[in-house]
Amino acid sequence: MFETLIFEKTDHIAGITLNRPDALNAHNVQMRDDLFEVLSTVCADDDVRVVLFKGAGEKAFCAGADLSEFLTAPPPVAAREVRFDRDLWGLFIRIPQPVIAAVHGYVLGSGIEIALCCDICIASEDARFGLPEMGLGMIPAAGGTQTVPRAVGVGPALEMILTNRWISAKEALDRKLINRMVPRKMLYDIADLTAREIAAKDPASVRLAKSAVVRGMGLSLDRGLSMETTLALRLIAEHF
Amino acid sequence: MKTDSVTFQSQGRVGVITLNRPESRNAVNRQVTAELAEIRRHAGYGSELSVILLTGAGSGVFSIGTDDQENIGRTDPEGELAALKAAAIIGSFDQPVIAAVNGDAFGQGLELILACDVRIASRNARFAMDQILKNRIPWDGGTQRLSRLVGRAKALEMILSGMILDADQALDIGLINRAAPPGEVLPPAMKIAEEMAGKGPIALRYAKEAILRGMDMTLEQGFRLEADLYFLLHTTRDRTEGITAFREKRPPRFEGR
Repeated sequence: MFETLIFEKTDHIAGITLNRPDALNAHNVQMRDDLFEVLSTVCADDDVRVVLFKGAGEKAFCAGADLSEFLTAPPPVAAREVRFDRDLWGLFIRIPQPVIAAVHGYVLGSGIEIALCCDICIASEDARFGLPEMGLGMIPAAGGTQTVPRAVGVGPALEMILTNRWISAKEALDRKLINRMVPRKMLYDIADLTAREIAAKDPASVRLAKSAVVRGMGLSLDRGLSMETTLALRLIAEHF
Repeated sequence: MKTDSVTFQSQGRVGVITLNRPESRNAVNRQVTAELAEIRRHAGYGSELSVILLTGAGSGVFSIGTDDQENIGRTDPEGELAALKAAAIIGSFDQPVIAAVNGDAFGQGLELILACDVRIASRNARFAMDQILKNRIPWDGGTQRLSRLVGRAKALEMILSGMILDADQALDIGLINRAAPPGEVLPPAMKIAEEMAGKGPIALRYAKEAILRGMDMTLEQGFRLEADLYFLLHTTRDRTEGITAFREKRPPRFEGR
């Protein structure tokens, strides 16, 4: 059991709920360690076909990093070593199963970054998105400078990050930051339904399809096409 | 600094560059490029400027493109092109660059704004990559930056046909971030510039670097670059000031150190 997360596995779906509602589910060192442990387990569990992220409480999916712990961190060299030793964000983008985020309320800083490490993001109409790091003399550090421009394009990403302008769920939908916008009371039903639809498909096909799309985005078209063929052949071999 | 074809003024931490050849519809020539290069040196490492704003003098035209008076390709085509690559200079700023597009941006004029980071345009501005009409292709970054910004299909359509887009069409395909009423493009562009100038200057430059360099990397490599820059920021006084100011509920005072 985890101090900062609720983890439950039902019908091949791993549900992970960020659970510090009194602190707007702010990401702290304990949550980093809990997420690293739970994601390591999920990655290695073939029984898990889909991962579904939620945030506990009414107000926020995740309001960002817990600033009360800042300035107590080890010196930069040690902090960097810890970061790459327990590489939570590197692990996040290597999860072989599809990951869905169901977000509501404040989705700020590392909240947006968690959502964009997921493959499909469904947001309720009240969700608000923003990256406040620049106002604190920092830059996003959970992949935001990489995942935001890949989702919305370089121009809008530069504007969002450099001015820390917040955007509504509607604008997030228009800018393709999220896949779908749904009424608040239907958020978890729709997210569960999407998870169940994916869990009902052939698990090997689902993983390879995700892999082809995600890895292909970092390759030239030629290399992407040959990787796709390799993965398709592997699937044919598995099914024989 | 004394310049003619391009003017430069500092307004606090914002450096405003104005293409200043309204009689030639702000066409780019060797002189413009040389003066931009001089401004770039002046506004580079060690300057107090956090943000750059690029605009054009006059109201109807931002820049019509390369000056027709320039004879390219007679004796030393490579050297001649190099002496005219103005967008390459704009793209080399470490600071965020905001384009206040006061009117039409054609050919190399469009390439100039593509090298900026945020584009605000007047509602009456028009946009075209029209080099093909003169039997040329874009050579100041246009074939690369346009497709990365608006996608391959739209970029090919614009470059191969020379078609002209109005501001609404440019907004729809993401060529510009926002449109402003005609003649009033400077205030909203300056507002964004000032919002940025209120942030930590080093964090601004690192965020731009992480985004632009990261887009040329795989996602994993990009994550690594971002983390390295983040930990480098841990060594700055501005980061301590940012967090302290947030806790004390007061505006931060960043020094760029």
